[in-house]
Amino acid sequence: MSVRSETPGVPEIPAPLAGQPPGETTPPAWPLRALRALAQGLGYAAGLLALMSLTFLALRINPITALMALWEGAFGNASSGHLYPLSETLVKTSPLLLTGLGIVVAWRAGLFSIGAEGQLLMGALSAAALARFASSLPGPLLTLLMILAAMAAGALWGAIAGWLRVRRNVQEVISTIMLNYIALALVGWMVRGPLQERARISPQSEPVPDAALFARIIPPAWSGGIPTRLHSGVLLAFLAAIVVYLYLYYTAAGFGLRVVGQNPEAARAARFPVPKLRMQAMAISGALCGLAGGVELLGIAIRLYDNFSPGWGYTAIPVALLGGLHPLGTVLSALFFGALTAGSGNLERFSGVPSVVINIIQAAAVLAVVGVRAWRARRAGSAED
Amino acid sequence: MRSAREAATTDGPPQAQPNNGVPLLEMVGIVKRYGPTLALNGVDLAVRAGEIHALLGENGAGKSTLMHVLSGLTHADAGEIRLWGHPVRIPSPRAARALGIAMVHQHFTLAPAFTVAENLALDSARGPGSGLPLGTFAAREAAAPALERAAALGWQLDPDARIADLSVGTQQRVEIVKALATQARLLIFDEPTAVLSGDEVEELFQVLRRLREEGHAVILIAHKLAEILAVADTVTVLRRGNRVASCPVAETDARQLATWMIGVSPDSPHPLSPSSGGPHPPAPFPTRSSLAREGRDPTWDDCGPHPRPLSRSVGEGRDLTPAPSPSQGEGRRQAGSPPSLIGRGAGGLGATPGKGAGGLGQTQAKEAEEPGAAAAFAARDILVRGDRGEVAIRGLSLEVARGEILGIGGVDGNGQTELAEALIGLRPIEAGTLSWEGGPFRAGVSPTTGYIPQDRRRVGLAVGMTVEDNLLFEAVRAPQFRRGPFLRRKALQRLASDLIRAFDVRTPSRTLPVSALSGGNQQKVVVARALHANPHWIVAVNPTRGLDIGATRFVHEQLRQARARGAAIVLISTDLDEIAALADRAAILSGGRLHPYQVSEVDQTQLGLLLGGLGAEQAAPPDKPSAAGETA
Amino acid sequence: MSVVEGTLTGTLTMATPLLLGALGENIVERAGVVNVGLEGMMLLGAFAATMGARQSGNPYLGVAVAAGIGVLTALLFAAFAIKLTANQVVIGVVMNLLALGVTGTAYRALFGTTGSFVETAALPRLLWDQTLLTPLALLAVPAVWWGLFRTRLGLELRACGEQPVAAEAAGVNVARLRTAALAFGGAMAGIAGAFLSVGETNTFKEDMTAGRGFIALAIVTAGRWNPYGCLAAALIFGFADALQIRWQALGWNLPYQLFLALPYIVTLAILALGGRASQAPAALGQPYRRA
Repeated sequence: MSVRSETPGVPEIPAPLAGQPPGETTPPAWPLRALRALAQGLGYAAGLLALMSLTFLALRINPITALMALWEGAFGNASSGHLYPLSETLVKTSPLLLTGLGIVVAWRAGLFSIGAEGQLLMGALSAAALARFASSLPGPLLTLLMILAAMAAGALWGAIAGWLRVRRNVQEVISTIMLNYIALALVGWMVRGPLQERARISPQSEPVPDAALFARIIPPAWSGGIPTRLHSGVLLAFLAAIVVYLYLYYTAAGFGLRVVGQNPEAARAARFPVPKLRMQAMAISGALCGLAGGVELLGIAIRLYDNFSPGWGYTAIPVALLGGLHPLGTVLSALFFGALTAGSGNLERFSGVPSVVINIIQAAAVLAVVGVRAWRARRAGSAED
Repeated sequence: MRSAREAATTDGPPQAQPNNGVPLLEMVGIVKRYGPTLALNGVDLAVRAGEIHALLGENGAGKSTLMHVLSGLTHADAGEIRLWGHPVRIPSPRAARALGIAMVHQHFTLAPAFTVAENLALDSARGPGSGLPLGTFAAREAAAPALERAAALGWQLDPDARIADLSVGTQQRVEIVKALATQARLLIFDEPTAVLSGDEVEELFQVLRRLREEGHAVILIAHKLAEILAVADTVTVLRRGNRVASCPVAETDARQLATWMIGVSPDSPHPLSPSSGGPHPPAPFPTRSSLAREGRDPTWDDCGPHPRPLSRSVGEGRDLTPAPSPSQGEGRRQAGSPPSLIGRGAGGLGATPGKGAGGLGQTQAKEAEEPGAAAAFAARDILVRGDRGEVAIRGLSLEVARGEILGIGGVDGNGQTELAEALIGLRPIEAGTLSWEGGPFRAGVSPTTGYIPQDRRRVGLAVGMTVEDNLLFEAVRAPQFRRGPFLRRKALQRLASDLIRAFDVRTPSRTLPVSALSGGNQQKVVVARALHANPHWIVAVNPTRGLDIGATRFVHEQLRQARARGAAIVLISTDLDEIAALADRAAILSGGRLHPYQVSEVDQTQLGLLLGGLGAEQAAPPDKPSAAGETA
Repeated sequence: MSVVEGTLTGTLTMATPLLLGALGENIVERAGVVNVGLEGMMLLGAFAATMGARQSGNPYLGVAVAAGIGVLTALLFAAFAIKLTANQVVIGVVMNLLALGVTGTAYRALFGTTGSFVETAALPRLLWDQTLLTPLALLAVPAVWWGLFRTRLGLELRACGEQPVAAEAAGVNVARLRTAALAFGGAMAGIAGAFLSVGETNTFKEDMTAGRGFIALAIVTAGRWNPYGCLAAALIFGFADALQIRWQALGWNLPYQLFLALPYIVTLAILALGGRASQAPAALGQPYRRA
């Protein structure tokens, strides 16, 4: 869907995996297309498997054992059941999915934001603040307000970068780095200052009132008495993917955003409000990342503390890229990353391979995709000349 | 003589030793094909040292291609280049530099954030094999020889001034000094006066003459006849990839040059019905081009003055608005209706009030009956700036009636894009007014607007998006395709499919990336998008550039149909045949102003003179005009 | 050591890796490339230095190994971002991920599970509690400035960042020069990482750069792409860091985190309000394709 841009001012947007390969000219009827999409999907899956095997081989780890351990960690096995590992995979997917969607919106508008981390933190921070100062509100209302506060704070953080780009011509790559650290510092101050727990022992906030927390979805009885952590906020993440999909492909604003990202000159000539759409994209991107922070606070973390995010906002970029900068593709790639994260613990427990190994797999996957695409684009380009 | 002596004293490249009597540069039988089109058809060019050699031709005549071959940017398919009589190969711009060929580009190759000294230093004295350039080095010192060269030309360039802070004219000086600093013997100037003001032009000419005296060979790509007559020694005219003529400037005149540039059609007036509302005949295939294709050329090497008399004088007015101003009289009275830019029969400035209320549906029928009864669109004394802040359009006025196509010809770089964007409200006008049917002009709303931009790949399309998406840029914002914030996707898809059929876009699927289509089909997408909603006001810029005959006819037919529906249309095109085929009234855009002419009566020579930036009065005397800086 | 003295030497210690990384990135960005992977390159450098120092017993050799690894990583970056003209931000982010994975996996594979503490030989402290790398970093400031603004190579390099077309027209190989700039940036990042593992401390910890690469990126911006500006910004950021450690000792009743955020806020304000002087190289982040 997206190809290297023609204007020198706009960096290249990596194209979604699900799109048409560039050289193709005659798309066949839909059953054939569905078949081809399936084959393509299988191809990517096979590629990923091969890549993972190679990584393990390079580390002198038996790839079959390692892959099995990863699989069981993420999806379980017959003897110990599937429900708990599956729920963990989904729990790990949710923040990656929401921040990944945020990246999709910004990057599709041609804005290479790396500010998801800061926006997520601001979201969690404002939700925690609301929980602290409005804890007397009835549970569901507080939940709703916290979510809205998280989205608003993230949107504000994104909009600052958007404003700097649109009005001050400050590159978003640079401004979002600064904003990430300002958010980090704000969290650090808040959990030691105004938001610190009443006991004032650890640098962390007071827990969110129980009544406001997301409900755990799976009754412990179903999962053999082990309480799972799957919370209703995860559903919110998947819902967000559908909303972003509808926004990008079923609204005029989303359409304009895609045109701006593809070719700002053409957007201007067609009277799309380019600065406004860019601001909007950054604000929506920020709102999604802020939501990720709020959901994590309400579903898993309960408190705000220093290392609230293990770098979700940064991992979001590979997630979005591997998802082809498409909201539905991002669902798949977030599930893949979530499963890797959930499975890596098992991998470490049973084969001694450190869980950080998944970072290598993720990096290699993105490099492979980017490399293949860039190489193809170059070849297509040289063929045209 | 001088040339040989001069060149002998300089250290020319080894393979290009000076030789008495031999031209510095000879290009022989240069052929260049782009796909099916023959851009250069065995062109010859000989330039002597100590000579200013003008290269004249319309857009697409092959000037740029020829110079690209010479400067190593493209490679000829056949032909030979000789320097001082020795055959040379020029595989790259770097090779051209090494051979002493330098080009002063119209779009400067300067780094705006660098100082003058830094820009000059970057380019100067990078000796081959100088190794890792890590020695201490001050830009000012490295630029010193170039700055001295500038001083010798009478230019005091501040070495510490940032390029971005300098005027366009001064930037050009830096560019020229940069080219001179490479020890070039052959300097190519690509339309150097296009960005300059009148005084700056005269100063540039002084410098060109100075370079000639120093024994350089200067090639001047130009389209302004007065400039050529004022400064050049020799002129070569290209038309459609062929060399039409080459002779000393002293032996020719403006009218002769104009005729060569444009070509002569056997039946001068174009066979266009003067009426415009009714159905128009399909584009009559331009006679000039057919002549060129057959290879016949009545004017070859004919250096005498052209025999054809002026059929009528061309409006002297720089201000084309109609206004019954007293100055409008004399010259025009002799021949038919005055070539003003108001609608035919229009009583004057004001469009009839009270007409603005009716929608297109109402006015349509009426318009078809009495087209151009009154101007619908009017621009008054507009001043528009280009992207670099220069004045691109200065005090221009025009009016267009419904059911009328105003054709605006001219050579590229005369403010076409700026004018087009200003006319549809995309680019702010700094002075003057726009109005629609007597009321205020509200961009894109009143009137509804269709815009066919000049460069489809850069501005017209988002090439990575699908055919369907590209068709729907306008439609997605129309209320009938929205339900709240959501798009009526089904309706939009239907619209896209309909448009693909109606505009004959040859694509196997509407979900294919538009980049996969041919140029003609891509342009059909742009045209379909601009015209399908029946806009009242249409601006098209070079809508058929680069298209084949079939696609060209198609686009023309669409514009005719839009006219028949009652739209007011401005067609800005460098292709005068296109204007002759479509326009009801026509003018040449030159130097940011309009010069009207009558399509049905205009003489080719006059057209050439207008294109060359000359009004009727300059063209009239057969001898060489002395007004050197006449460019305004 | 008094609090003031401690704060000052602490400032130097904190500023050194930031300055080293920023000086390299200054060159890289002046050539028109933005290397978001700086963080990862520093992390790889830190790990490589530990390994080199352990294997050879000589911490200086560790620093050299770190520089070499930095160059190799930079060349990998260049292969994608310059040769294949892929998006620089994408490749930078991937580099960070890769570095995190490689250092973490290798470290645990070699030294066992988390929490184990591997001591290596550390660089000796010479003066004011500083290792050799600090004066080297300080000396590199005028050297980089001289290289950028007083050599032809520097002029050509800046032309690659401002107007690659003009550079190419002047006979400069933009791709090659950008790659060279990246290699220099990688070496500096590697040394910066080495400072963390064999200079400031004598061990490697997972993710021990803790965002210093990103801070170095910010410093280049705050320093307006000028080495002396980078020095000033690095000292300010370093001072903020050093003061943080002594905050309690000073008995100030102010939240030091807000103080930590100050340099970033000031940098953003400079960018937002600053005139032309604060503007980035015109072609920063844009892949260059030869016509």
